[in-house]
Amino acid sequence: MNTYKPKVLIVDDEKGLRIGAQRLLARENYDVTTAENGTDGIKFGTETEFDLAVIDLKMPDVDGLEVLQQIKAKYPNTVCFIATAFASYETAVEATRLGAHSYIPKPFTPEELLFNLKEGYQIRLVNLEAEKWHKEREERLLEVAFEKTRMNTIVNSITDGVLVVNRDGLAVLYNPSALRFLELPRIAVEEYILDKLRPEIFELFKKIVEEKSAEQKSYTIQIELKPNREFFIEATASAVLHPGENVAGVVIVFKDITELKKIELVKSQFVSMVSHELKAPIAAVYGFLKLFNDDSIKLSPEQKKEYENRSMVRLDGLLKMVNDLLDISRMEMQTVHREIKRVCIHEVIASILELFQIDIGKKGIQVIFDQDEHKQCIKADVDEITRLFTNLISNAIKYNREQGTITITLSLSDDYLLTTIKDSGIGLRPEEKNKLFTEFFRAKNEKTKNISGTGLGLSIVKRIVDSYSGKIEVESDYGEGTTFKVFLPTIISN
Amino acid sequence: MSNKKKILLVDDDLDLLEQNKILIESKGYEVITATSGKEGFETFKKVKPDACVVDLIMEEHDSGFILCYRIKKEEHGKNIPVFILTSATYDTGFKFGASTTEEKEWIKADALLNKPVIIEEFVQKLEAFFELKK
Repeated sequence: MNTYKPKVLIVDDEKGLRIGAQRLLARENYDVTTAENGTDGIKFGTETEFDLAVIDLKMPDVDGLEVLQQIKAKYPNTVCFIATAFASYETAVEATRLGAHSYIPKPFTPEELLFNLKEGYQIRLVNLEAEKWHKEREERLLEVAFEKTRMNTIVNSITDGVLVVNRDGLAVLYNPSALRFLELPRIAVEEYILDKLRPEIFELFKKIVEEKSAEQKSYTIQIELKPNREFFIEATASAVLHPGENVAGVVIVFKDITELKKIELVKSQFVSMVSHELKAPIAAVYGFLKLFNDDSIKLSPEQKKEYENRSMVRLDGLLKMVNDLLDISRMEMQTVHREIKRVCIHEVIASILELFQIDIGKKGIQVIFDQDEHKQCIKADVDEITRLFTNLISNAIKYNREQGTITITLSLSDDYLLTTIKDSGIGLRPEEKNKLFTEFFRAKNEKTKNISGTGLGLSIVKRIVDSYSGKIEVESDYGEGTTFKVFLPTIISN
Repeated sequence: MSNKKKILLVDDDLDLLEQNKILIESKGYEVITATSGKEGFETFKKVKPDACVVDLIMEEHDSGFILCYRIKKEEHGKNIPVFILTSATYDTGFKFGASTTEEKEWIKADALLNKPVIIEEFVQKLEAFFELKK
């Protein structure tokens, strides 16, 4: 059984009636509150929400109709009865007009009161239920409207193009981005669109609509809208299904894959360049071995020795190149595990110079570097920093002239530690400067012909510098020498 | 003076240049070498060889084509076979050949030689040209 007691307010100036009603109703499981005049009636009736109210029409202070109105204004769902001995048709009509549920003539028997209240309470429950439904319905409508505008906003703001075409070929929905992919100035909703689509896209539509199997697939094509990879798109079509698995239409999503295609091209160019560079030393060694094995060719012992040495040099170069390539790929995949510690550049440079001592001595190069004068430390991975300066110093030696000089200085430049490496070597032509950091670029001329290298050293240097958010500058006069300036931030953020 | 035929060999890979020189010399030719397109053209004008073998990719990707073009513009160049040495068809996937007249017109070379050079094949092609000239 429901333990809820309906709350009843009795407003009457007649004490006997109040007490009688209270006893009766309390027995019948009502929660009764009484008010002895109109003022209290209004006060109680608007303080809490009562399920039911029985209001005497004639009271000395405030008229019952006034009490009724006030309560109804605050709680429209409180079911109110007007009770009075001065019954008249007009009063009854007026009371109902003001929101009373009904009218109980005085004097009334307990049964009459109970009957009216019971009925009134049923009405109250029905009203409350109705109100609840109404509210829910309104909320749901709001939600739907909100969802719809939200979906529209989302579809309209995505950069991919979306076009929905129904079975009959009418454009049902599209977003502004789709226009760019379809190369159309505008589309009208419900417009027949099939004749405006590119044949490839039309084919996609046909494929989906004519699909027999219940299991719907999606189809994707790539189209080069503007030649030379200027605008490359990918269109994916899939079915919009009705309940019962009928194809209602086709949704086509367009994607701009221009960047992807450009990267693809760079990648394949890189692969072809790598294969060419790897092939050259292999071909050279292969050629020497073939000469050794060719009975019709007579080689002197000196020649043989020389060719063996030359093969070794080529294989050595090949090995270095493979190592450089592996380094580059590791850097690109960012699988290099960095150990960021305090690295003192002057110490790194001093140890590199020691390593190259023999080469420096052979060429009679004078190195100007005072490590006590230029003490500079940053936080970085010591292996990477060593690699960076090894490549630069090795170049400064390789491309230097006999009896040349290398000057290395360290200084602070704003938030950067600036390392300057200046050589007195062959220098660079202006057009060579721009290509300097690209893979496999090597300055090719009479002077560099006999200098071996992988063509990857500076590309690795650039990658390392970039990875520390640093920068590298190069100044050079052809025939005079080259100066590299490496700027590394003194505070390494990552 | 010997009546050996003079072959101009141009390649920027010094090892390959030497190997091919030895191979061609072993077949009874005289070989003059050059290591760049520029040097190749100068040598061509100086020695007036009986044939030229030019590597395609030297300073630039098309140095061989350019040298070949310049040689064929010379009066002497029109009368001698010029071969382009290449493995570029594999490297770039870019297909080209010098089998039709139209291709020869465009490429200017009389034949393409694949790397590594198979000397017997080269000699055969070369002699076929010399035979034609007689």
